[in-house]
Amino acid sequence: MKRLLLCAVAVFGFAGAFTTVRAEDGRPPVFPYPIRKTTLENGLGVVSIPFDSPGIIAYYTVVRTGSRNEVEKGLSGFAHFFEHMMFRGTDKYSQDAYNDVLKSLGADSNAFTTDDWTCYHMTIPATALAKAVEIESDRFRNLKYDEADFQKEARAVLGEYNKSSSSPFLKLEEALSDTAFTAHTYKHTTIGFLADIKDMPNQYAYSKVFFDRWYRPENCTIVVAGQVDHDVLVDLVKTAYGTWPRGGKSVEIPQEPEQDGPRKAELTWPLPTLPILALTYHTPASDPANPDVPALRALQQAVFGETSPLYRSLVLDEQKAETLTAFIDPHRDPHLFTILARGRKVEFMPEIGRRIRDALKEAAEKPVAEDRLNAIKSHLRYAFAGELDSPDSVARAVGESIAINGRPEALNELYAAYDRLTPADLQRVASKYFTATNETVVTLETRESK
Amino acid sequence: MINTSYLRSGLTIAASLLASAVGIPALADGPADARVVLVPSSGPLVSLRLVFRVGSADDPKGKEGLAALTAAMVAQGGTKTLKYEEVLDRFFPIAAELNGNCLKEVSVFSGDVHKDNLGSYIPLATEMIASPRFAPEDFDRLREEALDHLTKTLRGDNDEALGKWTLQSALYENHPYGRPDEGLVAGLKAITLDDVKDFHRTHYTRDRLFLGLAGAANAETVKLIENGLSPLVRVSELQPTTIPPVGPPRGLEVTIVTKPAEATAISIGFPIDVTRTDDDFYALAVANSFLGEHRTFNGRLMQDLRGKRGLNYGDYSYIEDFIQEGQSTFPIPNNHRSRQYFSIWIRPVPTDKAVFALRAALWEVDRLIEKGMTPEEFEATRSFLLNYSKLWVQTLSRRLGYAIEGTLYGRKDLVTELADRLPKLTVDQVNAAVRRHLKPSGMKVAIVAGNAEELRGLLTSGKPSPIVYDTQGTPQEILDQDKLIEVFPLKDVSVRIVPVEQMFEK
Repeated sequence: MKRLLLCAVAVFGFAGAFTTVRAEDGRPPVFPYPIRKTTLENGLGVVSIPFDSPGIIAYYTVVRTGSRNEVEKGLSGFAHFFEHMMFRGTDKYSQDAYNDVLKSLGADSNAFTTDDWTCYHMTIPATALAKAVEIESDRFRNLKYDEADFQKEARAVLGEYNKSSSSPFLKLEEALSDTAFTAHTYKHTTIGFLADIKDMPNQYAYSKVFFDRWYRPENCTIVVAGQVDHDVLVDLVKTAYGTWPRGGKSVEIPQEPEQDGPRKAELTWPLPTLPILALTYHTPASDPANPDVPALRALQQAVFGETSPLYRSLVLDEQKAETLTAFIDPHRDPHLFTILARGRKVEFMPEIGRRIRDALKEAAEKPVAEDRLNAIKSHLRYAFAGELDSPDSVARAVGESIAINGRPEALNELYAAYDRLTPADLQRVASKYFTATNETVVTLETRESK
Repeated sequence: MINTSYLRSGLTIAASLLASAVGIPALADGPADARVVLVPSSGPLVSLRLVFRVGSADDPKGKEGLAALTAAMVAQGGTKTLKYEEVLDRFFPIAAELNGNCLKEVSVFSGDVHKDNLGSYIPLATEMIASPRFAPEDFDRLREEALDHLTKTLRGDNDEALGKWTLQSALYENHPYGRPDEGLVAGLKAITLDDVKDFHRTHYTRDRLFLGLAGAANAETVKLIENGLSPLVRVSELQPTTIPPVGPPRGLEVTIVTKPAEATAISIGFPIDVTRTDDDFYALAVANSFLGEHRTFNGRLMQDLRGKRGLNYGDYSYIEDFIQEGQSTFPIPNNHRSRQYFSIWIRPVPTDKAVFALRAALWEVDRLIEKGMTPEEFEATRSFLLNYSKLWVQTLSRRLGYAIEGTLYGRKDLVTELADRLPKLTVDQVNAAVRRHLKPSGMKVAIVAGNAEELRGLLTSGKPSPIVYDTQGTPQEILDQDKLIEVFPLKDVSVRIVPVEQMFEK
């Protein structure tokens, strides 16, 4: 059973304001902790979520830059590559010295990159807050690496691609993005086109441009969850980051034109594998102010969740599909609602595709029952509550809201929007987005079965 | 530190990784036989964990996969009163589930739920465990899923997992550990629904159960558990399966799984006679952290192979079986085993650098054995491990898991053991433990590659395998090391090539 990561209740907005949170109907909030936020004069955000986490904090730096920002041709995958370079040291803390500090703290430290954001995170003793601010501010402001380091790290990125390349899902994801998008940078996956990855060692000069362009205070937020005092945090951050100058740079992200007809890609796999059918449809950016956004998430559960009639028949009763799932990952710009089915046999695939489309048609024509919609709302609420089981998961949820929507209160807005959903909302989005003109189909089958 | 634990039958309990208790009443009505570990905490969530001492090592010969299929039938099947789809309907509004995981010697069931929903969750979860439906349609679905996992996912979709299971299959040939937990193709096909029913009745017994409860639970919760588990047989009629030791490999015993592959996945290992019950385990834990702590940049393997040479994405070492929990950096708790092995995981490397990468890893182990850790390296690693290990118990479920695990090993939980023992360790003890346990007569190597015959030639020829960099500026110190590594002796190499379609067949 899969869980949705998203949604919470949290309101704030004034610099330094301490806010408590309450659901609209007076129920206890799903997001149970207060959030405090301060924005420094240079635009750097400082957010804390204090709660009882015995001696531990999660320290996140959220950078609102991901593979979405890679507009230059031949440089796909650079946001992710740059995430790797951020561990290559400064004059004050060489790579080894930085790592020695983390080691002495016993830190669980890493980073990840998505289509829209890059995240540097560590879980450390609460007593190490000042040290974390010091070493993180140092590398964000003073990163320094030579071409040799740069080239070695480029090959580690190729290794990262290689580790995933034995999975058909990497090829599938690449084909989905490449086929569904024609102009927007979501056309490439976060790790980038393989040809661009292979060429990365030659892009040292561009890496400096990239750092200067995006690693700037107005593009970053520090998020600390757990046993933390907001005022102490702000004082530390002001001292360490206060004179970090704004960059003021941006690029134009190409807009994706409206899709003008069905698209298709067919893939094969050299070894026996279960056949895969992916159907994807363009959907709006994850702005909770748009009522279609919560409606699509509810529809995902209603039509493709494990308690949906389609899942019950295809996966449990008839066992024609091994997997049936749908996902709509949060994105800054309009992205995709994707339905994925792995069939038991290749001959089942046409029928699986037909029944997926029939289920979407039915969702447009027939309203979902009220009690079913209530169960979906309840599911979304408790799924989110269950995710918040550590400082790391709390910081990540808040970090994502900041990254995607630019503000943590978007969590609250999305939750309130779920509560307002009616069956008609689900019907509306079912008829609006799941049209043949807006559809991209990607199939993957064992080569010999073609 | 609070230690709230109770056991009505008088068996020993461990627990206590936590801060504030919230006044949970003593478990006066706790399950009569099962060992109970209770970990209190504030917050709205409750975590339940049940560990049965039965695992894939208990599979009958010819029915390999029975233990895992039984666990799947419990966690992903119906109950006596509910079809599986009705179970899903009950779980859906509370966003809960019962996770099931069959490992070598244990089957672990766990779930997390909001305290609002304890009254519906506990009866359902315990009914799934004690009174499964064993419906033919669930059996068909889950057995097919297991077969697909072996024949499609492992063979065709994931070279890293394929390499790891190939290593375990080679290390433990003709041994209860020597196959994926999901079983073997022939074994799965031979299993009947009656086999599953019998296996559940004879192995899911209260004397084999360790039970843990954490978070916003109370005595009422325990009563619900007791009611739900009451149908379980009290005492197993079977003796626990004995896990024999395996002999050391001789020379370098290489298994190459041949399949179309864009890069080469490598795993290296040998059995060690050390588990958490042994004092040397804790000394080796420090040395291993220094050599290759999982998913960190602290280990020499990671720093030298990835960081300085750009060979691949990651390189790590282990002194016990390691299964990562989801996307985290930490292992799943409760992977209890009587026998362990040392291993190195080299993530896929470019095909032309595979032999160099293998030699580099072996050279690093040799360097550790021959030169040991310096006092400074020892101090830094010990300090790291003392702090880092505290992060292993951040969630309720993990706290429970570690507490139960300690009980199974007859020790305190691992985090507490490390906190107690590491401050007293010396660098000499660590280096001595390394020489005692990590210097074997041979090793097994598992390689997944598309150029098996060529690799065989390279491995058995004894010729150097120089690395050619396509990047600039490799430091002279590394280039000097490369000269040693490219000729590092590969002694007594034997190579077996297995086509991928034969893997995990029977």
